[in-house]
Amino acid sequence: MSNIAGKSYAMNVVTPAKWYLTWLNKLFFGFVQLPGGAAYLKGLLTLSLIHYARWAIVSPKQFPHLDPSQPKETIKYSYMFFFSNFNGSWAQYVDSFHTAIPGGLDLFWTKNVKYPKSVPLQPFHAYITYNQVWTNHYYNAYPLASSNDVKNAQHLSGKLRAFNDVHSNDDPQDFQQAYNALLLEVQGAISIMEPTPIISLSAQAVEERLSHESEVNSA
Amino acid sequence: MSTHIDLNDIQGNIVKGYGHFGYPKARYIFYRIKECKAGRQFVQDINPLITTGVAWEMTAQSGENSAPTATTNISFTYQGLKMLGVSRLSLQSFPEDFAMGMKERKDILGDDQTSSPQHWDQIWQGEAVHIWISINGKSEDVVEKRYQAICDILANTNQGVEQVLGHTGDQGETNLPYQSASVIYKNGKPQATEHFGYRDGISDPYFSAASGNPDRVIGGGKPTRGNPATKEGWEPLENGEFILGHRDEAFETPKAPQPPLLAFNGTFMVYRKLHENVGSFNKYMNEEGKKLEGGKELLAAKFSGRWRDSGAPLTQFPTEEEAKAFGDKLSAAEKKLYMEQPNPSAPTVAAYTKLRQQLVAFNYDHDLDGSRCPMGAHVRRINPRGALEDGKTAFNTPGALVNRRRILRRGLPYGEVKDESSNDGNHGIIFMVINASISRQFEFVQQQWINYGNDFKLANEKDPLLGNHNCQADGGGKMILPNDPKGDKPPHFCAGIPRFVETRGGDYFFVPSLTALHMLAEGIVDPT
Repeated sequence: MSNIAGKSYAMNVVTPAKWYLTWLNKLFFGFVQLPGGAAYLKGLLTLSLIHYARWAIVSPKQFPHLDPSQPKETIKYSYMFFFSNFNGSWAQYVDSFHTAIPGGLDLFWTKNVKYPKSVPLQPFHAYITYNQVWTNHYYNAYPLASSNDVKNAQHLSGKLRAFNDVHSNDDPQDFQQAYNALLLEVQGAISIMEPTPIISLSAQAVEERLSHESEVNSA
Repeated sequence: MSTHIDLNDIQGNIVKGYGHFGYPKARYIFYRIKECKAGRQFVQDINPLITTGVAWEMTAQSGENSAPTATTNISFTYQGLKMLGVSRLSLQSFPEDFAMGMKERKDILGDDQTSSPQHWDQIWQGEAVHIWISINGKSEDVVEKRYQAICDILANTNQGVEQVLGHTGDQGETNLPYQSASVIYKNGKPQATEHFGYRDGISDPYFSAASGNPDRVIGGGKPTRGNPATKEGWEPLENGEFILGHRDEAFETPKAPQPPLLAFNGTFMVYRKLHENVGSFNKYMNEEGKKLEGGKELLAAKFSGRWRDSGAPLTQFPTEEEAKAFGDKLSAAEKKLYMEQPNPSAPTVAAYTKLRQQLVAFNYDHDLDGSRCPMGAHVRRINPRGALEDGKTAFNTPGALVNRRRILRRGLPYGEVKDESSNDGNHGIIFMVINASISRQFEFVQQQWINYGNDFKLANEKDPLLGNHNCQADGGGKMILPNDPKGDKPPHFCAGIPRFVETRGGDYFFVPSLTALHMLAEGIVDPT
């Protein structure tokens, strides 16, 4: 069990909110998607360690009742599900939110039960830890890539294909000139992908145990 | 909340980089406690020698300078606190990083290959050391005198405390009783540089309790959205980033060991002996420098973010000519200031201060593409000065991702370079860090900003100077030096960068307040 796979961390946080107040959260979710609310998203988008972040509110009536034989539950609260994948450690992520966009965070979680506000940090840490659901299985197709790497690779790949279409038959001198211009254009997107630095000794220990066991099993 | 701090209760190395205060010579001595009572006696007897954070001019009577000829400070590893009889309840309230010690954190720190603990000095090979003591002095003689005084105190413990030998020395010794350090002298004159030739120790964080010139907030504090060349561009960092028991940048008192009085006014210290591969550095600069338009000095500046001689920031002084003109003015002003000691005239001080400020009073807003100072350059990595906001007004404050990662750097160069074309020998930097949280501050910087590049959108690119580049034959680090996007020159690619800096030892220490030192000596630490 680990929340970490390659360069990524998967976080799930489920927090209760009084059902009759969740319209406030929803109002804010709607607002940030309007042009006037973009300022709140700008901070989030500039935090380049984030792959994605998603909030979803499930009201008591929306919880699945799959079969008449399933016992009826009494659900007192609406629940806000927060999912995010990111690069780096838990603390790096939570602390980045807390320092970079504390105001936005307080609006996202606005009236949720016992939400302590994002500043100061220690009560906020305690709130996230208490409500976090740990990940048992986390698959990462590109363990060497961070979200910045993927964005850079996409940018580079597009430019390189377009370059090929136009210049593949240039004479050497023209090609060199065009190639240099391409390098200059994409200089911010060229990088080296290697394994992640070890951000957690506990996760490293799990990884080593599992890879040892799988070697033993396949032998 | 008050930003007042009782400097009488704080150890002096927290607020003073002694090297900058006219103490160019140092020794670092390590001890193991064999017997608890003797250990407490040793701490008790050392106490009167401990240098506090009090500003020296403040205690001066009738104009006399109160600065001591030698300073002494003390700190403890986790095992050291345990040997002093600190209870388990209290020990378990210390953070994991400190409890584990540096050797066990090697995977976090990237101390692998030639930096791995098996290559460290002998002193780090056995069980952990317990006590670190530093002596800084104005001359070797006063350091020796203070050292002898401490040896006498040690002798009184009747082997209940032992000095740990095992430092590697300049003549190939492997069992020296202490680590010496000193500023580098050239033709008998002290230099502000380290062994690669970079002017060092230019920028240190400025926090509310920092003694010294309040103008140092410029470039040393946390960035505001004001002009970085003026005081409006900066605010002091909160004391709690560097001293426990005070408000930090998260608007709370940092997590600290129990009882509160043990932690209050204390902090954590990292001690690292870093060997500098001068031969590899010079060879790489000479060879790769030939391929770069601008040559070797520009390459050295692109790696560091500052020009070697003057320390002029590359982002403000992009050409060697500009840097040289600035450097000449700065050294003339320094010389004038020196000549007029001890009572320099106001215009001399003002002229020097104005130039000195240019070394630090800047940010990277006009250089977001890194075509002047690369994003991956050493100084831009370890102190991005708000550049992680990408030039947008996106965060609550431009220092959002930086203000909690600042570290106070202490220490001095050690050893002598006898052959500039060789890596062999014993020379480098005794690098010390003061911070309230080793994992949040020092380890984060070391791991994410020195040995990795994602925060700068540089994937796995490492700090060219300090990064743990792969030492295998086909290895080496890489770095892209961006060029002006409006120009016509492609970026320059550096490959095969050797590991220039290797770890040769170190550990994590707790630096108690003077009050806490008395509590430890008396054996009265009780968290219940």
